[in-house]
Amino acid sequence: MKRRIFLKGSLAAGTLAVAAGAGMLTPTRVLASTWPKAAFESKTEADALNAFFGTSEVEQGDQVSIKAPLQAENGAVVPIKVMTSLEGVEAIAIITIKNPSPYTTSLQVAGAGGLYSTRIKMGQTSPVNCYVKAGGKLYLASQEIKVTVGGCGG
Amino acid sequence: MKKLVSLTLAAGLAVVGASGVQAISESEIQQEIEAFQGYFLKRFPGLTIEDFQDGVNVLPQYEHRRANWELAMEFPPYEPEMERAAEEWNAPFENGKSLNDCDLAPGNTYPVFDTATGDLRTVVGDINACLKANGEEVVKNVKRSKMARLVAHYRSQFNGERVAVDFSDSGAQAWYEKGRQFYWAKRGQLNFSCADCHVHNAGNSVRGDVLSAGLGHGVGFPVWRTKWQVAGKPWGTMHRRYGGCNKQVRAHPFKAQGEEYKALEFYEAVMNTGIPLKVPSQRQ
Amino acid sequence: MASTKMKIKKSKGGGYEVMVLAKHPMETGLRKDKKTGEKVPAHFIQTMEFAVNGETVAQANLGAGVSKNPLIGISIPSAKSGDTVTVSWVDNKGESDSAEKAVK
Repeated sequence: MKRRIFLKGSLAAGTLAVAAGAGMLTPTRVLASTWPKAAFESKTEADALNAFFGTSEVEQGDQVSIKAPLQAENGAVVPIKVMTSLEGVEAIAIITIKNPSPYTTSLQVAGAGGLYSTRIKMGQTSPVNCYVKAGGKLYLASQEIKVTVGGCGG
Repeated sequence: MKKLVSLTLAAGLAVVGASGVQAISESEIQQEIEAFQGYFLKRFPGLTIEDFQDGVNVLPQYEHRRANWELAMEFPPYEPEMERAAEEWNAPFENGKSLNDCDLAPGNTYPVFDTATGDLRTVVGDINACLKANGEEVVKNVKRSKMARLVAHYRSQFNGERVAVDFSDSGAQAWYEKGRQFYWAKRGQLNFSCADCHVHNAGNSVRGDVLSAGLGHGVGFPVWRTKWQVAGKPWGTMHRRYGGCNKQVRAHPFKAQGEEYKALEFYEAVMNTGIPLKVPSQRQ
Repeated sequence: MASTKMKIKKSKGGGYEVMVLAKHPMETGLRKDKKTGEKVPAHFIQTMEFAVNGETVAQANLGAGVSKNPLIGISIPSAKSGDTVTVSWVDNKGESDSAEKAVK
């Protein structure tokens, strides 16, 4: 098992730059970090982005795509899949704007591809913003997912 | 809108009452299958009879929700449970035998009319009968969990086989008639029949939900439902779903594996003649 | 424990997609127990690590906003037949589980 370098906190650009400069990181080297507490506890999208990515500045474009229903069948189990063909993906984050804690989940990448698929809880209709950090820049795709009241269900 | 032959007949019979169950012939049943299936193929142009395996997901009106199911099917939530189901099915009895030694009919032919007893055999009933005959404890809850898994395991062996229920015996025809009356009769505080929602309003919305087509009902059962999963008991048999549906129109639900739901299951299975089995299914 | 299940599918453009189904209540800490009326304490998976032949390739960070019995899917374009994929997760109580599967 290759030696792992543990970084405390997030992918904030500063930490990575220092680590890379010190020769502690290479693309084939493994990295694992602690659970991004500050991001998960953020109450706004901007705070969450800054806590996790170290920036909230987004590039224009459609490099990120989302597969998700326009309307959830069940707000407790909403499937969502984030994809990108960008090279050098560092992380993917899913932010559910109207949730009490918008930062829902993320994937830190060191060898895997630009894909993250999961199921989230949604309290109400909300835009779901999917961010991808690649090559040091931040990209975004957004989709509104409706959460409605059922009519029949047995 | 042109109504099905059945509606007029059923309405008339409903007035006559339960005791006035008229005889229906094999050829009349055949005509009803064609009318029922033809109605849905016309209501949803572009769909084939096989498409109805996937229930509400295949309807054009379900476009905005279809991704729920498509994404779920990338790693069907019931897959790990089906491994468990296979283990449960193959578990040996005290006497050394297992459910593999049971005398079951092909999965695509249920419910089966038993000429000796005049009763309808369902997969659920046959499994419990086999357990009992081998001195094993029957499965008490016949609507969910273990029983649903066992039925799913058995029926899935017949995936791809087209539904082919035998209604050649007059006894079977009487069960059919009973089921048909149930399907077309109004019930509950909301005064809806199965047909009101699943025939006349198939594809229409009920608040945030879309009504499934009656054609294909049960072809994918037992079902793994997200709603039931969230409450902790994801698996359900047809009769579990029937009970829930009756409660939704504020009607008294009937007993699982009782006469009413067996007759209803028979009617729906006959209407599904020709549709290939696709068990289990994942739904909301 | 073996309640964590993994599925490995070949991707169209090469490489593989790895999907994990973990068994976990993912409690937010806000839900009230129906019997006691007390709030059920928060209990959710926090990190889930994916490795190929022992080398970590990704880490998923989860919160209580992820659905019960989480499904997590990633892609591993560089994975090859014969590789071993392992996934291991840890929750906020320090409980953990893992699964391993060979790429066919």
